[in-house]
Amino acid sequence: MGDENSPLTAAEARHLLRRTGFGAKQNVVGRIVARGETRGKVADRLLKFRPSGFRPRNKSIAFAHNKWLKFMIRTPLELQEKLVLFWHDHFATDNQVVGSPMRMGEQNRTLRLNCKGNFRAMMHAINRDPAMMEFLDTVRNRRAMPNENYARELMELFCLGVVDLDGEPTYTQEDIVQIARAFTGWRVDDKGRAYLNENQHDRGNGTAGAPYPERGPKVIFKGNPAFGPGGYDFGAAAGTNYAAEIDEVMNAIFAHQDSSGRNTVAHWIAYRLITFFADPEPTKSYVQAMVAESGFDSSFVVADLLRTIFVSDQFYAAVYDPTKLSVKWPIDYVVSTLRLLGMELRSKYQYVDGGSYINAADALSNMGQLLFEPPSVFGWDWESSWINSSTLLARYGFVRDVISARDKGKSAFRPERLFTFTRSAGVDPETVVDAVTGLLGVQESFAPGTDGRNALIDYLTDGLGGTIDFSNDTTRDKKLRGVVLLVTQSPAYMLY
Amino acid sequence: MALTRRQFLQRTGIAAAGGVFGPGLFGNPFLQQAMAQTIGDRYFVSVFLDGGNDGLNTVVPYNNGGGNLRSDYLLARRNDSGGLRLAAGPGSGDVHGLDQAMPSTPFSDPNTGAQLSFHPGLKGFRDLYDAGHLAVIQGCGYPNGNLSHDVSTKIWENADPLRLLPSAKGWAGRHLEAEYSPTDIPGVTIGRRIAGEFKQSGTSILAITRLNRFGFPFDMEYPGDNAAKSAAFAALCGEAASSGVSVAEFIGNTALSTAAAAASYPQLHGAYRSERPAFDALYDDASVGGRTSMSRDLREVAKIIYGVAKGVPNVNARFFQVSNGGYDTHSDQGGGQITGRHYSLHAEVADAVRIFLDDLSDMAQGQTDGRQYLPEKVCILVWSEFSRRIIQNDNGTDHGTQGPMFVIGHSVNGGLYGNHPNIDPVVIEGNNGNTVYSQDAGDPFRSTDFRDVYGTVLKHWMNMPAAAVQALMPLDPIPDPAKYWRTSNFDLPFL
Repeated sequence: MGDENSPLTAAEARHLLRRTGFGAKQNVVGRIVARGETRGKVADRLLKFRPSGFRPRNKSIAFAHNKWLKFMIRTPLELQEKLVLFWHDHFATDNQVVGSPMRMGEQNRTLRLNCKGNFRAMMHAINRDPAMMEFLDTVRNRRAMPNENYARELMELFCLGVVDLDGEPTYTQEDIVQIARAFTGWRVDDKGRAYLNENQHDRGNGTAGAPYPERGPKVIFKGNPAFGPGGYDFGAAAGTNYAAEIDEVMNAIFAHQDSSGRNTVAHWIAYRLITFFADPEPTKSYVQAMVAESGFDSSFVVADLLRTIFVSDQFYAAVYDPTKLSVKWPIDYVVSTLRLLGMELRSKYQYVDGGSYINAADALSNMGQLLFEPPSVFGWDWESSWINSSTLLARYGFVRDVISARDKGKSAFRPERLFTFTRSAGVDPETVVDAVTGLLGVQESFAPGTDGRNALIDYLTDGLGGTIDFSNDTTRDKKLRGVVLLVTQSPAYMLY
Repeated sequence: MALTRRQFLQRTGIAAAGGVFGPGLFGNPFLQQAMAQTIGDRYFVSVFLDGGNDGLNTVVPYNNGGGNLRSDYLLARRNDSGGLRLAAGPGSGDVHGLDQAMPSTPFSDPNTGAQLSFHPGLKGFRDLYDAGHLAVIQGCGYPNGNLSHDVSTKIWENADPLRLLPSAKGWAGRHLEAEYSPTDIPGVTIGRRIAGEFKQSGTSILAITRLNRFGFPFDMEYPGDNAAKSAAFAALCGEAASSGVSVAEFIGNTALSTAAAAASYPQLHGAYRSERPAFDALYDDASVGGRTSMSRDLREVAKIIYGVAKGVPNVNARFFQVSNGGYDTHSDQGGGQITGRHYSLHAEVADAVRIFLDDLSDMAQGQTDGRQYLPEKVCILVWSEFSRRIIQNDNGTDHGTQGPMFVIGHSVNGGLYGNHPNIDPVVIEGNNGNTVYSQDAGDPFRSTDFRDVYGTVLKHWMNMPAAAVQALMPLDPIPDPAKYWRTSNFDLPFL
């Protein structure tokens, strides 16, 4: 059992860096271990950044996509980008519906600026985010015909979850209907700012003289422990300041308690972040402990919650227990492979400079994760849903192209720069396998075992055993590229 | 207990012999009998209308008959700009009315006597209905219909709304993993994701977007090295496949069956193309309703079925899924306008299915070698995760509950089954516009539990014993027969 003061082992440091970034570099791991740095110290360093104002804006969604991709391949703020990916999935918005790459770029910056801050501030911004307002029909939500699309996802996906940790429903259809009224009339002006058009707003409050008396008072969460049987009347709370209705709705949502009296938002967001960073199937007690220890249910500061997660034992469980491993997201597979091999992509088209010369957006799309185009409002399906015949072939094809890249500068794969093997005639294949798995940081708890290593050694020696003749330029080039390809195609490398 | 196909193959040692699925398989009467335990020489195609198809504008009240169905429809669907009302008439110009897709065979709601019609975009379905090859099962749903896409899709995929089973697997997936081994490939999803209804971890389902792009990406710089790479790749995947770590086993097995399929499946494209050029072109022909992602997806299914029927070695997929997205029509749904969104969606599916069945029909023409008549060997099941509200919103519809399902094929007993959902505003009041769900025998507005439809397919198409079907989809354990699924009927007369 460890805590924030436990020094990280090399394996734990690699795990922390893989989960919070894009691949663990050997020199970074070495430094952490040499200095005896603790879980807490490294977590603090990872979380100590000022969010960048970067926004991948372009009139073409493909170029906006590539700007973000390139940023991820280059940035020193890996955790920031991991968080933006998490929020992009959480607040999944599809440019095919929005039809505005510029707005998608703005939303991307909003996610970045709020990535580790107060979740209340994040929600304040998301409620008014032009891409989101377009995607979930807020801009078409009008008093005569309230549109429920945003109200539903606000609760189901963004804040409360369909059910709480005990499997109990968190909201009702009536709550959706009433909250949809709060968002009637919200529009986006010429400058891309959200405002309330009161003429399109349902100004009813349930009394006979007010509009839409049949819709009743704007009461939500009746019977919730936080509000009692009468629920919360957000219409009365906002009064004639109609623009404040959505803020009153958020006050109610952030005060919402689940069936066991826990803060629902804090536990839902903690559950989501834990499944992303730490454990695909966390126990109820783990989620509760992370919220309690971080005070996330009162502060709602994401960084506080993350630090608590990053120093917890369960976070490191996968280092010792392979059943706790996660499947790498396609974007992680692409970006970490390039970063670990010291490579970049070519031109604004961000293509791989070898093999089929595929551009990364196509490769990612084939792997099932084209950024800015999540498959639905639920974002992407994670874990084993990433893996099927089609997506695996896309991963294999991408790394085949990567190891075939030879042309220029940073877009070329140069094994001779990564590995220090002499050009001698008698290189021990074991050292080659160790060097390659070490560089690629294959997860310790599930590194290739005896059979896998023997297969790689057989490959290197063409089944003959003994040493390899690296004085032969062709053999050295062929086999070094080949063994990198095999490791990146192995099931172990898909996991982390 | 009957042998599963998997047990049979293991016991007879055929599984180890290789080439099990090659030509002549069905010439062996002993094996043929064993295969008949399952889907045998038949095919199953699941068509998912992704996003929640508006059932009320799919099978539409045309008149009142003895009740108020059309009148209630007129209250729910407006006739102004943005109105979704489908006119009882031929329509004019670019706005089509219900007469355009009115079956010539009887098509009346059994309960109310109201005459119904298909949405004008569903002319292809009307033709199949008139030919007796299409069954409409009205009002399919489940208790306490959930209005979340995600939740309801999973309920339809897993057929386990109360989550009584220990793990979340697809309803057809549970059948597949009982009947097939890890390296068998009994099914293909056309797309980048495995269809939820096929999900499980006991056998392999391929996800293929296009066969001609499905192949192993070998390193072409050192072609002489590829055999060595393949051997090492197989060993690495094999190690994972037997690691005891379930996620690693899944990746390892998927990788191994993918590598095998990548050798056998791509050739299906070329064979189909050169041997069936006329039909190949039809799927691309907009004038007959082709040239859509739906028609092209079904063409991939046709290519594979053509290969299986011809006995191409190592190709034996029997289960397929295709999906059409875009049904989440909160806004701009469109009524009878042929440029409208819902119209296009309907036409895409109906026209593509028609081309597909024509293709299968033609595959058997002129064959003297006893080749099966394929349209009799295929069962197409069309479903959506929910229907939409009865009352339209501005110019679209919000999420609702039960809707119609379609079962299509020449072995299907075409007809109209089940009752139209109750859309009487007095009855639905207080339910926020949701269709009232009822299985109460005393309630004249009966609906069908979608699990009875699946169960009928499993029993009569996959040849599963009724008890096994029931074990695969347990009854709701809540003693409220008016609302919950307390008695199953796996003998719905459509199959």
